[in-house]
Amino acid sequence: MGETPEVKKAKRPLPKSRVMLNALVDSIYQAAWDAEAKGEPVGWSTSIFPQELCATFDIPVLYPENNAAGVAARHDSPRFIATSEGELGYSNDICSYARLSIGMAHQMACDPNYEPPAVQRMPRPTFLLCATNSCFELLKWYECLSRELDIPIFMQDCLFNYGDAKPAKHWVAYGRSQIEHNIKRMEEFFGKKFDWDKFLEIQKISVENARLFDECVMMNDRNPSPLNGFDLFNYMAPMVVARGRRETTEVLLQLKREIQEHIDNGTTTFGSAPQKFRVDWEGIACWPNLGYNLKSMKKYGVNCVTNGYVGAWSLHYTPGSLDEMAEQYMLSSTNVVNTATMMGKRADVANHFQCDGMFCHINRSCKFMTYHMTCGREIVEEKCGIPVVFFDGDQADPTIFNEAQFETRLQSLVDVMETNKEAKQ
Amino acid sequence: MADVKSLLAQFEEISKNPQKLVKEYVEAGEKVIACFPIYTPQPLVTAAGMVPMGIWGGQCNPQLAGKYSPIFTCSLLRSCLEFGMTGVYKDVSAVVMPIICDTFRGMNSAWRAGVPDIRSITFIYPQNRKDPGARDFLIEELKAVREALEDISGNTVTNEKLQTAIRLYNRKNAAMRAFCRTANDHLDLVKPADRHHVMKAVTFLKPERAVEMVSELTAALNAEPVHRFAGKKVVLTGITCEPDDILGYFDQCGVAVVGDDLAQESRQYRTDYPSANSGMESLALHWFGVKGCSSAHDDNNTARGDMLAAMAKEAGADCVVLCMMRFCEIEEYDQPSVITQLEKAGLMSFSIDIDQSTSDSGQALTKIQAYAEN
Repeated sequence: MGETPEVKKAKRPLPKSRVMLNALVDSIYQAAWDAEAKGEPVGWSTSIFPQELCATFDIPVLYPENNAAGVAARHDSPRFIATSEGELGYSNDICSYARLSIGMAHQMACDPNYEPPAVQRMPRPTFLLCATNSCFELLKWYECLSRELDIPIFMQDCLFNYGDAKPAKHWVAYGRSQIEHNIKRMEEFFGKKFDWDKFLEIQKISVENARLFDECVMMNDRNPSPLNGFDLFNYMAPMVVARGRRETTEVLLQLKREIQEHIDNGTTTFGSAPQKFRVDWEGIACWPNLGYNLKSMKKYGVNCVTNGYVGAWSLHYTPGSLDEMAEQYMLSSTNVVNTATMMGKRADVANHFQCDGMFCHINRSCKFMTYHMTCGREIVEEKCGIPVVFFDGDQADPTIFNEAQFETRLQSLVDVMETNKEAKQ
Repeated sequence: MADVKSLLAQFEEISKNPQKLVKEYVEAGEKVIACFPIYTPQPLVTAAGMVPMGIWGGQCNPQLAGKYSPIFTCSLLRSCLEFGMTGVYKDVSAVVMPIICDTFRGMNSAWRAGVPDIRSITFIYPQNRKDPGARDFLIEELKAVREALEDISGNTVTNEKLQTAIRLYNRKNAAMRAFCRTANDHLDLVKPADRHHVMKAVTFLKPERAVEMVSELTAALNAEPVHRFAGKKVVLTGITCEPDDILGYFDQCGVAVVGDDLAQESRQYRTDYPSANSGMESLALHWFGVKGCSSAHDDNNTARGDMLAAMAKEAGADCVVLCMMRFCEIEEYDQPSVITQLEKAGLMSFSIDIDQSTSDSGQALTKIQAYAEN
């Protein structure tokens, strides 16, 4: 018997907000290439560095974490990772974003036949911006990039908040001192004067965008949720690469309108399958396996209505206040606060979103986020009374993820959520 | 004066039985503060009238720690958590935990969840060490540590007491450096494991006792004729080089250890507390003087490799052995660059795995043999 020919579904057109988002991201990359062509500075930055500084100097900056996610999602990460592990000798224990990016930087610098990724090609940087809020590994990764490319690092040490209170006065003072010192160093490095009025404007736009992004995230608390939760991973991009831009405001306003339309019409980007279970996804996406994850979850009627990671760019401060800005950069990332704080918040969100369970990505590349899950599981179980299930994966290294394990763990989560629902009824 | 052999035996006994020492301290009415790697402000503990003791995990296959600590995280900290959860550290009054890597970020949470009965005095070192605000920040952090230690001990740490303690620790650093230099003239008497036992025992001893014992050993060695060692010589770098089996392999293959940059060993003793306006300032400035360490960012991004090359050349070693603590990412990020710098300096290097959760060190033996036969 012959095989049934595969019927290819027509791709749904992208919503307008995604089209706008893609155009914005493309323009950011183009600006970096234009600067490179003119011999002007181009930066590579960690994802939660105070972007307000370079935006004020009007210096283009690209983001290796965001880039690595895109490259991995397009299944193009293995060749860069192979360079890091093979030619350069890095351990496969270190973060896969780092392995990907160091491999790419090395190829860029040393291989005359370097073949860039098909999209989101990054030019070679002339300086680095490193904030330590997401993890300590970022600093080690950027030390390697600095060595590989022989360029300087501007650092914003954002201090892991090990205690339960907000950052103390001396923490804020150190954060502020670094912002001020970085501005001075940048003035010298870029040969430009810092425009404090423009800085204030960019702060205002950044704060407005953070507020809008939070509103979009919170609108997903409806039942059924207007968004498939993975959509939010896509909309993180402008918050990472263009938080201080008016175009990002436009994207988010459009997204907000689209979400409202879904709410008004009772529709959802989750598709036509019923949303049987509402789940909090914890951890970074498995970018190389995003499609499989989504398909599997849809099969079981599981929608990830919220996740903690996308909130990392929720930086709210009073424009004009360097102290508040410095403090926010010490608080926003999931990895810059302790587990009691982080998972306590996540439990509150899971309750607010009426989640039936929590699905945790034990990300081989992100050790501390994994600690949050292992140490915070009991907090969530106690505060929410919902099951917490782990699966193994990685954000960019496709060799770690196992489809069978993912589905088995998902099934076990579904089984418990089903039993709980039946018990409630 | 006791002979070298019996003095080394004393160090070995102490290094292998820290719990016995804790019991002695506690029975004598003293409070013990356990100090996580790498840099803890131990003079504050001494000035508060308590006993600082290093904790460096140990060979064990964790049964409980996995509840909070992922399998792919540093085996040393997993062992520490296991020991905390199983009561090995039950007699200590608190632990001091510097946040120097991501695993320590996690350990901060894991300790609170898994070992709630032992107080953790946590603090963080600033990594932007050239920022003008970093010094004041660190002084304030250390003041919080001082306050916690005063609370536990019931004693006030005056500037005078702290300055006295700092002078004592600088004497200890000098004694350790003198021992390392002298040991290289007596490699027939001080085998790699002996050297390690001295270094490790000192992390458990009160500083005044450490100075006394190490100085006596150094004097005893100086009284012996200088030995011209004809074999191969190496320098070790990494977090630790344990268990003893591995150090035994070096000896078995005719290889001497003539220097180290191990966090458990010389890395702690190579930087003195500088003179300053106050004891607290001196403690803070110490951190800004740390060089070539994976846990302290340095704008000079080849500093560690260059430092190791200079150390090896000065000690007459032709090879640096990278002792890679399993899942220690800060060391893993440094590894390729260190190897490159050593190559540029015309030195050999090889890496061995250090894993506290397994007793199988066969791979290390093969690599050491290959080097020795080269």
